[in-house]
Amino acid sequence: MDDLTTLRDLGRDLEHEPPATLAHQRRRLLDAASGPRRTFRAVRPLRVTRGWAALGLAAAVTAAAAVAVPVVFRTYGFQAAVGDPSVTAPRGERPPGAEETLDILFVGTDSEALNPRHRAGTGARSDTMLLIHLPAGRKKATVVSFPRDSIVRIPSCETPGGKPVPARTDMINSAYGKGGLSCAWKTVESLTGIRVDHAMETDFSGFAKLVDALGGVEVTLPRAVYDRKAKVRLPAGRQTLNGAAALGYARVRYALGDGSDLMRVGRQQQLMGALVKKAEKLTGEPAKLMSFLDEARRWVRTDPGFDAETMLAVAESLRKVGPGEVEFVTVPVHPHPEDRNRLQWDARGAERLFAGLRKK
Amino acid sequence: MVPAMTAPPTARSLDSDLVRESLTRPEAFSALFDRYAAMLYRYVSRRLGPEIAEDLVGETFLVAFARRKNYDLACEDARPWLFGIVTRLVSRHRRAEAARYRSLLRTTPEDVVESPADRVAAGVTAQASRPALARALAGIAARDRDVLLLVAWSDLSYEEVARALDIPVGTVRSRLNRARRKLRAALGDTNPLHEEA
Repeated sequence: MDDLTTLRDLGRDLEHEPPATLAHQRRRLLDAASGPRRTFRAVRPLRVTRGWAALGLAAAVTAAAAVAVPVVFRTYGFQAAVGDPSVTAPRGERPPGAEETLDILFVGTDSEALNPRHRAGTGARSDTMLLIHLPAGRKKATVVSFPRDSIVRIPSCETPGGKPVPARTDMINSAYGKGGLSCAWKTVESLTGIRVDHAMETDFSGFAKLVDALGGVEVTLPRAVYDRKAKVRLPAGRQTLNGAAALGYARVRYALGDGSDLMRVGRQQQLMGALVKKAEKLTGEPAKLMSFLDEARRWVRTDPGFDAETMLAVAESLRKVGPGEVEFVTVPVHPHPEDRNRLQWDARGAERLFAGLRKK
Repeated sequence: MVPAMTAPPTARSLDSDLVRESLTRPEAFSALFDRYAAMLYRYVSRRLGPEIAEDLVGETFLVAFARRKNYDLACEDARPWLFGIVTRLVSRHRRAEAARYRSLLRTTPEDVVESPADRVAAGVTAQASRPALARALAGIAARDRDVLLLVAWSDLSYEEVARALDIPVGTVRSRLNRARRKLRAALGDTNPLHEEA
């Protein structure tokens, strides 16, 4: 048997049949084909990456942390545990903020054991950079994702230790990698022209530990869930999920519902609600509370101005807007002309997207 | 050997006709989706797994649609063009791809039998050589792997692969040779069954 034959056999082993939900992608194409729409929706046909899976997970993890942490902190005044004075808002001229909007930068880092580069101690990398935009009235939320391979102009800034990092053109995630959360903050403001009110950093691998520190989270499943991809096998009915199971449940896509992201966003919101309840109960259990705070301190960091009340307001808005009202968009990009493995922002599309968010 | 991934175009309208029609009637482009989405899905599911595949196929057609004005209407068959876009999009998921191959190192035969896809027909030989293959695949340079997998899994001809990746045919051959040398080294070192075949 020759090598190509063996490889073809392996290929057939790995292959999956298209699911019925592939029809959603046909609808996406037809939406694009039916012509430009108002505001930033018009840029959709240009978008290359959406990364729904990563986005959904990031949203769940960060929002869950944002939900559980402030409930506890509000009661006990422990906000200082995650507020880091070295995380500072950009200095100098900043974009003006619109009335009553709230924009928060979420940086998700990933230090999962799988990643040898991280293990080598080269510092955390930002895997996900999201801008959560809550318009006045909080009836909807827009989550903008910045693809990490985007080559952008990064302004000069300082590391937490006060070391200057010169301005340069580089991958967007190097802003965080070289200068930390404050630099990522300044970069996003300078690129989008949107005033970013707060910044928060979460390590995804901490999500499960945070849930475990809460003593698990209680959910009721209408039917059993088995999803090999998300590594989840859960019976129907009321049950307490540990951290790993909760993470898997947030990621499940195909075994439940119609496979759409709306269903998943709904599930993630259900999870957030359950986390809030659990966090509220925790306030009566000092031992568990302390271990939760210890975990939170390890996995979550914010600017000191991001106080518990604001966090709670954000968390509540994220939890309460309808699943269909959370819009996930990615900055429109195309392959970089000088390096096809990198991305270049589509200047017109990006500006249209940001202009829409600056106004409301 | 059953390379059943690609459906050859039949007597129906040519892909290039559909692209031309879509320039004035954008909805016509959806016919290309109907023709090739399943095929592309299968290909991507092999490289990145089903979860990423669905979105990626959607992206592929959005990108193709946005760039349809640049399509060379002399190419009757759109598959090389679509596989080219797919390949570029797949390259954004290198970590996922590497993880997928690495996961094969851990997969036990029981896992495979249990899988709903239920594709165990490949048999014992493939099972035995799997870890070696997976390790070799993960170790092949990305650009060589792109060529190798287009040849092995998409069933495009060398000329079509060249068009898909916008490289000369000679480069396709040299990359393929390099990749196959690594595969053979990996298989030869660990799998005595090859001697019988």
